[in-house]
Amino acid sequence: MSDPTPTDSNKESTAKKRSPSDFLKSVLGRPVRVKLNSGIEYRGVLACLDGYLNIAMEQTEEFGLDGQLKAKYGDCFIRGNNVLYISAQKRKGGS
Amino acid sequence: MATRILPLELIDKAIGSQMWILLRGTKEVVGTLRGFDDYVNLVLDDAVEYTPDPDDKTKVIKTKLETEILLNGNQIAILIPNGSGPPEDSLAAQSG
Repeated sequence: MSDPTPTDSNKESTAKKRSPSDFLKSVLGRPVRVKLNSGIEYRGVLACLDGYLNIAMEQTEEFGLDGQLKAKYGDCFIRGNNVLYISAQKRKGGS
Repeated sequence: MATRILPLELIDKAIGSQMWILLRGTKEVVGTLRGFDDYVNLVLDDAVEYTPDPDDKTKVIKTKLETEILLNGNQIAILIPNGSGPPEDSLAAQSG
């Protein structure tokens, strides 16, 4: 179901420049912003993730639709089906 | 016989150029396409997100994301290569 991103075992011929799996590798362990379909945003350090975009984050901060800080979590798990996008946070280093 | 072009080839040709993306629901995104996969998950640079203002639906909130993003293909409805975003900041899903 849903949307597993191709893993290393599934080498796609279409990706030339910078494929989603390249991106995911490059943001591992870095601060990211994760926006959900609902509009809620989570910022924290990306601990690990899989091809479904399931995400484990550390030092997580939750921001509501108004952009206000709503909560903080030490660790949190986000189920991938809720993820709209993952964005590397600020500083373009490594991209 | 006419040469056939696969849909993903069309997206592949658009790599490096700007792309206007309509998502399921009312959100829209514009950004420079860096790559994609078989699920049409997209890697975008300099992405701008357009969402309706929750308080006043006729207004559009424009958010510059400033970094590279990975957009979930699950949410994508329509891709418009070389699209420059919603005209007059009115979202497609809200007009007409």
